[in-house]
Amino acid sequence: MDFKKALKDFWYGKPHGERRLGDNYLPKTGLYKHREWRGVKDTFYYFNKIWLYNYIHMVMDVMKYGGLINFAKGVWRYRWVGQTYLPVLHWFDRGMEGMRGPAMKASAWHYRAMVNATIYQFMTMFNADTKLHGGKKNDDWYHTMAHKETVWGGIFYPWSDKFKNVSLEMIPYFVTCHVNSHTVHNYIDAVQSIGLPGDPCPMCQAESGLYVLDDIPDYSPFMITCNEACDGSVSTAVLQDWFNDKPLYALAMPMQFDDPLVKKYCKRDIEECWKFIEEQTGVPFNWDVMVERLESQNELQKFEWEKWEVAAKTNSYPVNGVAQALYRIYQSQFGDLPIWHFVDSKVRPIMERCVREKTNTFPNTRHRVIAWSCAPLYYSNWCTWAYNCWGLNVIINMDSLMFDMTIRTDNYENMLEDVAQYHMWAPMRRMAVGGMHHIFELWEYMERFNCDMVAMYDQLQCKGMQGVHGLFEDEFRDRNVPAFWIPHALPDSRTVSRAEIRRLISDYMTTVMHEEPLDPSLLELDDDMTW
Amino acid sequence: MRDLKHLIYFENLLQEANNELVQQAKAEGKYALGYTCFFMPEVLLDLPGCFSVRLRAPRCTSPDIATYYMSGRVCHYGRSLFERALEGGFNFLDAQLATETCTVTCRFQEHIQQKHLDSVKDMDVIQNDKFFCEFTDVPFKKSGYAVDYYYDQLKAHVLEPLKNNLGVDVSDKALLAAIKQHNEVCKLINEIGDYRKLENPTITGYEFHVIQLVSLVCPKYLILPYLRETAKEMKTRKPDEKWPFRCKVVLAGSENDDPDFTKLIEGCGAEVVCDRYCYGAVESRQPIVVEEGEDPLRAIARHYLDTSNCPRFMPQHTMRERKQTLANLVKEYGADGLIVCSNKFCEYWSYERVIDTVVMKRDFGIPVCSIEKEYINTASGQLRTRFQAFVESVEIKKIQEGN
Amino acid sequence: MKKFLVKALALGGVAYAALFAVFFFDLDGKLLFNVVEPFLKNHYDNMERKDMLTMPYDMDKFPKYEYEV
Repeated sequence: MDFKKALKDFWYGKPHGERRLGDNYLPKTGLYKHREWRGVKDTFYYFNKIWLYNYIHMVMDVMKYGGLINFAKGVWRYRWVGQTYLPVLHWFDRGMEGMRGPAMKASAWHYRAMVNATIYQFMTMFNADTKLHGGKKNDDWYHTMAHKETVWGGIFYPWSDKFKNVSLEMIPYFVTCHVNSHTVHNYIDAVQSIGLPGDPCPMCQAESGLYVLDDIPDYSPFMITCNEACDGSVSTAVLQDWFNDKPLYALAMPMQFDDPLVKKYCKRDIEECWKFIEEQTGVPFNWDVMVERLESQNELQKFEWEKWEVAAKTNSYPVNGVAQALYRIYQSQFGDLPIWHFVDSKVRPIMERCVREKTNTFPNTRHRVIAWSCAPLYYSNWCTWAYNCWGLNVIINMDSLMFDMTIRTDNYENMLEDVAQYHMWAPMRRMAVGGMHHIFELWEYMERFNCDMVAMYDQLQCKGMQGVHGLFEDEFRDRNVPAFWIPHALPDSRTVSRAEIRRLISDYMTTVMHEEPLDPSLLELDDDMTW
Repeated sequence: MRDLKHLIYFENLLQEANNELVQQAKAEGKYALGYTCFFMPEVLLDLPGCFSVRLRAPRCTSPDIATYYMSGRVCHYGRSLFERALEGGFNFLDAQLATETCTVTCRFQEHIQQKHLDSVKDMDVIQNDKFFCEFTDVPFKKSGYAVDYYYDQLKAHVLEPLKNNLGVDVSDKALLAAIKQHNEVCKLINEIGDYRKLENPTITGYEFHVIQLVSLVCPKYLILPYLRETAKEMKTRKPDEKWPFRCKVVLAGSENDDPDFTKLIEGCGAEVVCDRYCYGAVESRQPIVVEEGEDPLRAIARHYLDTSNCPRFMPQHTMRERKQTLANLVKEYGADGLIVCSNKFCEYWSYERVIDTVVMKRDFGIPVCSIEKEYINTASGQLRTRFQAFVESVEIKKIQEGN
Repeated sequence: MKKFLVKALALGGVAYAALFAVFFFDLDGKLLFNVVEPFLKNHYDNMERKDMLTMPYDMDKFPKYEYEV
């Protein structure tokens, strides 16, 4: 035995090619025989500043936002919180596998922000939920606004000094899939059990299934719904209306959002929506609060642009593919929250130091990858695996790029104009189901972010993206762009398993790219039952 | 019943999009304008000098190349249209007036559109130098400002391109002439369709389906004489002594341009007395009323939003009203039940069908048969079994009510 | 005082080491996967739930939400 080497590995952690991360897993479960030894410094950073820090802050967040009793009641009542949010540290592990130094630290901060935002939202729901308070409509119930997850949180800024807004599906469905993909199967099966076919978008199915199983909290007197991003979203409105049976405003966004003519009506509908909120709450639109919150959100966007610059032009961007994607879509869709600013203030010095010292944050990068279209929710951490196994470094993804703007606050007209634009670029709408011009912005962003390969998500039940499948194939071929497809069904891990996704990527890397894996232990994993 | 004089002729017209009458109109120098959705007002495409063709892809069972482009996981209708376009079946079109009202037909239309982008190639599908494809954005609401919105869209994306690209007269006078012709078609179709309300109807659902379809896919001025003659013929048509069906149904649901599907239902004993689906007559054959002093284009915009019961409309009261409207149709046509169909992969109707299946039965006492179907129904055995079972259940209900 | 401090430090050290063991050997994950999740799953699977299909769907319950702006 080479003691010198063993000591070096103990102190610094094994170099990338020798880690054999796949050997750490217990068969099927995705649990670890033991967590990864990353060298003394990084292991203890992970233990202290990620594992312990986040467990402690999860408890503190629960206490801060509503208390342990409300939390316990919620856990006992709702599958999506009890079954899902307990293994949250495993979600960190999956996203941060193999990461070292600044990449590990900055990525983990992004996760911390998402955990805080999630706890804030489910505790807000539980505080107001009549189902947890013996049917009583308390003061919180009257001061919480419910909306569909594709309605941007900024719509509610004018009331944010007096009211909270929480989307109905973001926490019960969307975030759960990333943390524990088992939960959502119940909801998909439930809605199919009342006659819905299996082919509509599984995301919309899961949203509807929450209602069918009576697993949606009753925390608001009314709701705002939206047609974004697709036919499935429009259609879920009818089931939502039936099962909610509350005043509902449909904030309808134009489909042809590049047409200058539609803007006028988009603005009009947003203003009508605000009138509806005024009518329901009895509280007028507050311009000062709107401006304050928009300016705060603009700060987030400005830092995001700085991050993109670093990601595009250097090898020193310290955020991995999954942290980048999830944090950005969460933050840009939810809107302004203190935690985003706090986390950005932690990430900024890490990133600036990396740039200053020209640190190569992902030193085993073989390909700079852009990920396009909608990602598999149950395997958003595929890019962590892809980096560890093949050196595929996902630099940027489509979801991050959708909201590429700040909002003017100099006067009402400009604000409304920009709010309308922002809202029309709703999640998935702009590129995934927007016009051809936006879908094929891929090439522009590929160049801008200096990427040489495309990971093309293939959401099997997204009619919009399936409808352009062949054109992408043709373009990849004509442009000689290396691209691999990742088939999936958003939240439903039963349609295409994680193992199948890995196999398809590995096949591409060996048969087309003729490359050898960096860590062969990751080629064949049985993690079928993992969260 | 005696056979309708023109039925076989009509059936033949439905065998190809580029049928005999379309060819005749083209030979007479008229422009052929394609569309797929109710929300593209056909009346605007029937302005003097041009004619509307609601696109179909009859007998397209294997859209292989379209499946490469659009995958096998989207609606068969959209794929079939694209396959037909790739085969050259729509080369007669001078323009496609598109709407993004459902995802897959939108994608079909985007494929045939010349996009003029560096980022994606143009496929040059439609081999016609004049051809262009223009999209209209359709609101999700029926309110007053939605009518203004729709009006602006129709003006900018239908009338102006027709005028600028093809030199079509889009004056108010031309619009009023098109409305007049459209209303005559509506009057005749309604006259013919109203015989379905008789206790012993003198027209079958299949026959009506064929007649309604020819009115959508043929140049109006060429099909009108046949419709007039058929309406006249209907006045003296005698029903069979014994009504050959066992019950009457309203057929509701997504896109359906396949008369054989109606024939299949009727073959199981359920007469289709009302057609509330895309390509059906309930909405598309309501006459357009231009109020005193009203801009005809605004009347058209208002009409098409007001009359539609598409599940695409999202306002709460509109979603709920749809159920009442459907129940009213069942009553108006004296139907015993409702068949709700959604095309496979049609997201709008997948959801609408679920709620209709529960609410129409529970709240209105209407027996409901809930079906998922394909654009071209090759698996007729399974459907036949479902329809037969439904007919039996309706009969049992009638017997029980009689007791 | 010194003794107390030593004791507290020792206890703290033991607790820290124990927590590190929990962390390193993924004992939290194993407990959640093998005990907590099955228990909760069983609870949720056997909960009484409202039959949502009995929810009313009244045609005239809500007005048109249209406004002059």
